[in-house]
Amino acid sequence: MPIKTNKYLISALILGITLHGVSLFFTLETTYDALIHLCFAEHYASHWFEPWNYKWYTGFTVTGYPPLVHQSIALFSLIGGLKFGLFAVAFIAILLFITGVYRFSLLFTGDRKVAGYAAIAAVFSSSFVETLHVFGQLPSIIGISVLMHCLPEIYLWIITKKYKHLLAALSLLAVTITSHHVTPIFGMVFFIFPLLGMVLMDIARENVGSYKKVRFTLFLKTFFKHFKRILSFGINALALIIFCILPYWINTKNNPITQVPIPHGSRDNFIEVTSSGLVFFIIPWGILLFVFPYLFYRSYSKRYLFFGLSFSFLTLLGTGGTTPIPKLILGENAFNILTLDRFTLWASIMALPLFGEFLFRFIEGDLKEALQRKFGSVFHRLLGGFLVSGIIGLFIFSVNLSYFKPSQPQKINMLPILNFLNQDQHDHWRFLPLGFGDQMAWLSAQTNAMTVDGNYHSARRLPELTTRAVERLENSKFRGIEGLGSLQQFLSVPEKYHLKYVFSNDKFYDPILYFCGWQRLRQLENGIMVWEKLNVKPLASILPKDDIPLFQKLLWGIVPVSTLIIVFLLHFKRLWNRVLKISPLPKANYLNFSISYIKFNPQIISFSLGWIMLCLFFLGLGSYKFYIVNATQISPKNAIAAYYDALDFKEFERAYSYLNPKSHKTKDQYMLEIAVNDGLLSSYAKLDAIKTKLISQNDSIAKVTVNTFWITPLERIEKEYYHELYKLNNKWFITPSDYDLDLPPDQLFSVNTTKFYNHGRRRITSEQTHHEDVLKQPVLEVLSSKLIQFNNQYSIIGQLQNVDDVPADVVVNASLYNHSNNKLASYNVMHQMKHKLLPKEITSFRINFEGIAWQKNTDKGPKTFNPKEFTPASIKEIPATFDLQCAGNVANVDLYKSVALQDVTTTNETINGIVFNAGLQEVTIPQLLVSYYNENKQLIWVTHHFLPEGIRQQRKQFFSFELPNIIGLNVLKDTTENTFVNGLPNKALLEKIDVGTKYKSKNDDLIPVKGKGFSYLKIALNNYVGAPN
Amino acid sequence: MKLNNQHNSLLISLCLICLSCYSYAFVQQEITAKLTTTQTVFEAGEHITLEFELSAPSVVNLICHSAYGTTIVNPNYGLANVSFTLPENISTKKGILDFKLVLKGTSLYNGSISIIANTKNKTVLESYIGPPSISAGTHDYTMLVVVPTDSYDNPIANHTPVSIKHQFLDDQKEASIKTTDLIAWKTIHSDTKSGRILVSSTLNDVSSKEFSIEVFPAQPTNFTIDYQREHIYADGNQITTFTTSVIRDTYGNTISDGTLVNFIIKNQNNSSLKTQGMSINGVVTAYMLHPDHKATWEVTSQINGMATSNTIHINYKGVTEKLPVRFTNANRRISIGPLQSFMEQLIPDGAIVKLTITKNEQILETKLKTTANGMVSFDLEKGFYSPGTYSFIIEALGLTSIHSNIKL
Repeated sequence: MPIKTNKYLISALILGITLHGVSLFFTLETTYDALIHLCFAEHYASHWFEPWNYKWYTGFTVTGYPPLVHQSIALFSLIGGLKFGLFAVAFIAILLFITGVYRFSLLFTGDRKVAGYAAIAAVFSSSFVETLHVFGQLPSIIGISVLMHCLPEIYLWIITKKYKHLLAALSLLAVTITSHHVTPIFGMVFFIFPLLGMVLMDIARENVGSYKKVRFTLFLKTFFKHFKRILSFGINALALIIFCILPYWINTKNNPITQVPIPHGSRDNFIEVTSSGLVFFIIPWGILLFVFPYLFYRSYSKRYLFFGLSFSFLTLLGTGGTTPIPKLILGENAFNILTLDRFTLWASIMALPLFGEFLFRFIEGDLKEALQRKFGSVFHRLLGGFLVSGIIGLFIFSVNLSYFKPSQPQKINMLPILNFLNQDQHDHWRFLPLGFGDQMAWLSAQTNAMTVDGNYHSARRLPELTTRAVERLENSKFRGIEGLGSLQQFLSVPEKYHLKYVFSNDKFYDPILYFCGWQRLRQLENGIMVWEKLNVKPLASILPKDDIPLFQKLLWGIVPVSTLIIVFLLHFKRLWNRVLKISPLPKANYLNFSISYIKFNPQIISFSLGWIMLCLFFLGLGSYKFYIVNATQISPKNAIAAYYDALDFKEFERAYSYLNPKSHKTKDQYMLEIAVNDGLLSSYAKLDAIKTKLISQNDSIAKVTVNTFWITPLERIEKEYYHELYKLNNKWFITPSDYDLDLPPDQLFSVNTTKFYNHGRRRITSEQTHHEDVLKQPVLEVLSSKLIQFNNQYSIIGQLQNVDDVPADVVVNASLYNHSNNKLASYNVMHQMKHKLLPKEITSFRINFEGIAWQKNTDKGPKTFNPKEFTPASIKEIPATFDLQCAGNVANVDLYKSVALQDVTTTNETINGIVFNAGLQEVTIPQLLVSYYNENKQLIWVTHHFLPEGIRQQRKQFFSFELPNIIGLNVLKDTTENTFVNGLPNKALLEKIDVGTKYKSKNDDLIPVKGKGFSYLKIALNNYVGAPN
Repeated sequence: MKLNNQHNSLLISLCLICLSCYSYAFVQQEITAKLTTTQTVFEAGEHITLEFELSAPSVVNLICHSAYGTTIVNPNYGLANVSFTLPENISTKKGILDFKLVLKGTSLYNGSISIIANTKNKTVLESYIGPPSISAGTHDYTMLVVVPTDSYDNPIANHTPVSIKHQFLDDQKEASIKTTDLIAWKTIHSDTKSGRILVSSTLNDVSSKEFSIEVFPAQPTNFTIDYQREHIYADGNQITTFTTSVIRDTYGNTISDGTLVNFIIKNQNNSSLKTQGMSINGVVTAYMLHPDHKATWEVTSQINGMATSNTIHINYKGVTEKLPVRFTNANRRISIGPLQSFMEQLIPDGAIVKLTITKNEQILETKLKTTANGMVSFDLEKGFYSPGTYSFIIEALGLTSIHSNIKL
């Protein structure tokens, strides 16, 4: 009898291509991984045999990831560009997955109809949808799909001992290996081992006629009888795993992943972190959760016993950190490296054949009859409706997950950035994107310029990155202290990495850039702000790389695509035959083991119904809890929490709704008050923690102090607020705080200022800048520099002046040396200096010697965020001497100096004052740079304070801070001997300056205080203007 | 023994004579060469041909060695005489060129010619200047370096005069500098005036491009300051403007725009206040808000470590002596105001009023509010202030009002 085309499979394919194809173009590019694969593909497209890529992490090797998928995209890209390649491979992945599930199900159940149902289920499988449309893990999907195609061949090899099956199996396995490295390794354990168990079970059954008669001894006997075949497959498979991606293994051995593990949601406790639970448990399991009893019941039947065990294991491992069991099974190291969501993916895929079987029995099999008999046909229809709407609902939800929970910033138009990098040799320096999400990979794919960051964290090499749990610098704000700490190191010492340009897509990072001495260049058409750093040398034209032997390069370039070609050659005829049904296909052995679905176990029905009830109950419970937590005004604490939450998310209308309606504050008024607020706290802060303390409460009034902790790019701010709350209609409302009623004196006023412009190149030429267009470096004078030991840390402090006639951008680098002149540490000034100096302006500075944080893997980073957290460089010897290298470059921006110190009062512990902004710009973040002097009016210490609120024009702002205790501070060395300015000795420059008229500064502006360890202080202001006009 | 020795030496001398006769005969058979070109000095770029007369026709080559390297030149095809034309990459380079005529590894003739810079073609002037900015006052200088070359990039002969001109204000100077060791250079000192020096150089009718050097003013000298204000009252609202005289350097030049000048203000509490400004046309303007209470300011200005100003004294009069306080609503509402300014007008919004609440000589709370229409009111809610006796200290505009033993 000629075999008819399986219409279920055809429908599955049509459905799959249509449904996924329609949405793919809207989802794939915003996934986590797709663009990374695209960037790798671009590498192969331009350098097929060269595994070294300079673009990321100051160079990395692409042998860190199996290449087949990337190389396939690269090959397709030759036809229609990179994105064409990406989508073409994605469509192939969809086809492979659906057919793979079909073949696996056919092998599993032996029933073409059931397999067809499974194929349709595969189209809607929410774990597949999530992996494709949310995570974009193409290699993972292709790997598992090809593995599923491989399984029947392994089965047939064991049972028939025909070499063509062995060859087919191995060739398919090779494709899996070269697509994804983790899939074949765990696939061996979780798919192939249970498959072998099933084959043996089938063979044993053939001998005795029924599964019931298969006993352990018989199984063991069968096993030994077929041991040779199993072994020959096993050894060959192992050899393939090693050979096909040999350079990968060599690279892994040479560069073991010693980095600090990067937190991943799949390792969370899903009950505590419900968002991870949703993404890594609820969504991938989806509708399968409701049929768990059936899945377990069926997978633990004798034939599937091994699959049952494997399925249970996978399910368990997929629960991540919810229970300690996965960690115990995998061990600490593997647990922290692997992302555990893949286990859930495999488990849900393994469940698909049985789910197909369930669907078949439910729609047209014995389950339908049983249900109709027991509960009537209406119930069955209702249940069917519930099932179908559940499947479709989850499908739609998971495809569009990034719509509900955006994981990426808005799509960025890369063209202006690419043009910028191509212009004026900007690509001769490294760049750093900030706030780009995974789109940074797409940027890298399109340009030859290099970045210090990267998007494949296993390939990181710089210790600044590998020692911290920071996936990328680009999104460092989401990694708290470690992220911003890493970022700060790169921004403070950019010369080390030839980092000159930063593309900022998130204004959160602006303050950190400004206070590290960067300046805004311009805003590109796509809204990206370009920041640049002066005094950074361009990259050398020849850069170092880790070369690998030629044979490895050839293996890497030739083997993966060859596996694909071999598979095509081997399978082409059969595929042709199978698709077009030209000649009858030999009946595969596994088709003999289909069972007839006659009687559905009634116990399972009732158990399943109970389970569904339980699931629904938990669903309801979750919803209720969600509601209760969000009941915002049942207590003063809830009201305060809700109010600050609203403020944090800038939902001011919601914040207004918590204010006392009887307070006569109109919404307009409130919004206006909010709108005129700017500053570190209102524009750059994220609420980290909030502690509410009830001072007093009665029936209708409550008074609370709120300690809020805000994360800002510069520091963690703690701010205390007082609030009064009133109870109205059983709801607590907050009395609105007073706002500043201060009235500036002038309605319209004018201020004359000097502005500067530097042409850069005056000729429009691509040649090197003409020497006459190069400005002289402004001359700086180091007035004092001292080596200080305080709290077991060494710092260099000092004062320098721009003695030139043009504004200067100042970079100061200090190095410590021991007695034998060996360098102990070297670092740049970070926040504790005015980086831009007007002619004759003075700044104090302090250099802290920062080490690379948590250099040892055993060091534990702090749990909460604290950008002030500082890892001092481990300096074992006492520094004997130091040198100071200062460089000035002509600055023409960020020279706003119109803030006056209006009033200062000191007590022994605190200093209070008022600053007044007399100029035309709104100061977003004022920084107070405080210098401390001893009784002889000699500088001994420098600190800084950021004011949390900005200062608007002609307005004042109060400040108050505690004076430090610097008793015990030790001045080790006080000399300007080894001080160099623009490469010349400080002394030599001084001689050149006309000192004839120089009068000795009397230090008139020192404020006398009775401080702990100091007698005077001086306050200087450094103003960050967020939006210059 | 002796005789024997004599024999031996005789034998050796005989052999030597034979050997020398033989070699003489051999040399006699060798080819000799003679240079027929008499010119020994050539100009770069000239067609240089060296001719040799050989005693017998043979295949010879010319090895040329100059500062740029060594090369072998093949002969031009000729009959009796052999001639070599030097390739352009050699003949255009200035310097001494050694040559060697060789025949199968043996040198037939050694000689040298010298190539001098081309004088016929146009000269090229390569010039550099730096630093591009200097300061006024004759001690600072910039340097112009001119590298005159011929069209083949050879430095022209030593002692070639280069005319270096520079212009500054009304002054235009020209100097003739002779090249030494390939370059001509001149230091150009600044004058006492600031401005722009334009520099150029000329050689054989060839001119360099124009260079400009910025002469910045020298160090600033002491200056005077003054102030303007709208009124003499400490209303905490108006702005006092400080200005400097035109700040000049030692030579009377106005200082560079953008120079930062600090104004340091000492008030009666010996506290230091500070404002600053940047100069435009030598004048610096800085601003300060009026204090909100009676004050005396002593203002000095300085350019860090370089120049300072006179000291001026400014007095601010208090706007009022009255601080009206009213207790209403069973003493639970404290109304302060209307606060009046110097003409009995309401004080501009935003004046700070501080209320300190004490009970049993312990400070319970300090409240800060700003006035609106001259008024501020504090409400003491029952929920927070249980009935009892309290003391209140109210401070505003530098005035203090104490209210003890108020019952709530």
